[in-house]
Amino acid sequence: MTTTEDVTTPAGSSPPASPRIKPPKSNRRLRLGERTAPYLLLLPALVAILVLLGWPTLQLIGISFRKLDLRELVSGEMVWVGFENFSEILSDPEFWEITVRTLVFTAAVVLTTLLLALFMALLMRHLNPVVRVILQVALILAWATPVLATTTVFQWIFDQQYGILNKTLAKLGFDGFIGHSWFSTGPSTLTVIGLLVVWQAVPFVAFTLYAGLLGVPKEQYEAAGIDGANAWQAFWAVSWPAIRPILTMVTFLSVLWDFKLFAQVWAIRQGGPDGASTTLPVYMYLKGLAGNHFGLAATAALLMMLVLILLTARYVQLLVRTKEADLS
Amino acid sequence: MKKSLIQRIGLGTFGVIVAILFVFPTYWMITSSLKTPGEVLSPNYDLIPLSVTFENFVTALTKPGFTTYLANSLIVTIGAVLCSLVAGVLAAVTLSRMRFRGRKGFLLLVLVAQLAPFEALLIPMYLLMRDAGLLNQLPSLLLVYFAATLPFTCWMLYGFVNGIPYDLEEAAMIDGCSRAGAFRRVTLPLLAPGLVTTSVFSFITAWNEFLFAFVFMRDQGKQTLPVWLSSFRTAFSVDWGGIMAASVIYAVPALVFFILVQRKLVSNLTAGAVKG
Repeated sequence: MTTTEDVTTPAGSSPPASPRIKPPKSNRRLRLGERTAPYLLLLPALVAILVLLGWPTLQLIGISFRKLDLRELVSGEMVWVGFENFSEILSDPEFWEITVRTLVFTAAVVLTTLLLALFMALLMRHLNPVVRVILQVALILAWATPVLATTTVFQWIFDQQYGILNKTLAKLGFDGFIGHSWFSTGPSTLTVIGLLVVWQAVPFVAFTLYAGLLGVPKEQYEAAGIDGANAWQAFWAVSWPAIRPILTMVTFLSVLWDFKLFAQVWAIRQGGPDGASTTLPVYMYLKGLAGNHFGLAATAALLMMLVLILLTARYVQLLVRTKEADLS
Repeated sequence: MKKSLIQRIGLGTFGVIVAILFVFPTYWMITSSLKTPGEVLSPNYDLIPLSVTFENFVTALTKPGFTTYLANSLIVTIGAVLCSLVAGVLAAVTLSRMRFRGRKGFLLLVLVAQLAPFEALLIPMYLLMRDAGLLNQLPSLLLVYFAATLPFTCWMLYGFVNGIPYDLEEAAMIDGCSRAGAFRRVTLPLLAPGLVTTSVFSFITAWNEFLFAFVFMRDQGKQTLPVWLSSFRTAFSVDWGGIMAASVIYAVPALVFFILVQRKLVSNLTAGAVKG
């Protein structure tokens, strides 16, 4: 396996600027075929985006104002209820509890991921090449293992009776952990899910930050050394400014991914015990597809989207603005 | 900032320990899958399998439906990847090489589509597929994964095509190639690494997807591997060795693809700013 050392593209950069495109010799002379060619070539992608993404998005907004339970679903009847779904969900104390839980969970997972990844990236920079490759291989293996495979392994490691964790703890003299169930309370279940998510999320963030660190010229560290900076000062003066934009980007992406987790939460305990590890996406599923309240679930999804937009608005705004500048 | 020998040995050891901690779950998955059923559940504490057996792999592969689920996963994933690759290449080349009205608008559409939380569309997508009579049919998932990976594919490939100088194509055209011929002979071969990287990320996305597969494919025998893997706790008595073997089989394609492109991984990834 080769190393990822040659990676130097700063994160968050957009694709290289468009090449100089020669304007066609004369617009009027263009044959009809040549003028419609770009639209024909874009057609498959455009149709797919509009039909499979655009249309459902409009539908989602529509459904959130409808009463759509099993009866309406089967009869195809349109029952408009205005903001009733919204008021029902917003007055449901369970919804607020789950929203707060999801936000806290997301914050904890994102923060842990970022700190660990930053630590890994700095570690990679200081290790000798052989150890660095060993570490990188370990990270890539964690990253590439599919989510559900990872989830089953974690269930196996945390298994009540035969799991290696309880066995290890017992071996270390903590006899209280013999037969201990890690999934008997909500916080404990969420901690295991969080660990699982962090473990898979760290590699991408670590590699991205490492790529950013590699982009810093060595001379800058030497200059800092000559000025008498210690390692800590050199980090703040040289590394930090270089990786701050990358950190912003990976924070944004991590929030986006961790907020809408479903597979791990569902596979571990279906949001249990007693709904104590339920997060917003699980709530959406339970209300809508398990409980047959599609209108309510659409409203929940819309509210979820709104929360996500609020969380990431600033960054999306910056992103669209820079990309827009690139596009012109 | 030169480090002393002791510092370097200390740091190296520390790095190896971190690597071991990180690789442990994967290691544990593989070694558990190679243990005999008796050894998996033995109260003994063995980090290294005492005897290697492929019994669990035979169990997994002969489990009713396993090969069907594997095939289902492969069909929807590969189908979606191919579709989004074709549509993506056409779009990327058009956006990069041609000037036309609406170009910038389309690029922004792709960018916004890439950032939208796809999972929120579960309910309308479900209704759409139901009305099209596609629930419990593989094409429903194929279409969903195609849509989910397309914006990202377009964006990444657009970056790759932009990285290939247009002058090369022009030179070929001066030498007598048609526009399409110049693209096929000059740009397409140079685009190959981009195509591989992009398809790996689409592959991983579709291969990992759980929510839509779980909701759309409720009938027995119609599921995909991730859904099957998630159901063992309730549906089967827990045969950990067999489950670990199934997980290994499920992980192999993703691991192979990752290893193929890992050298270019991060630089390409951050260019598109999206994870697969």
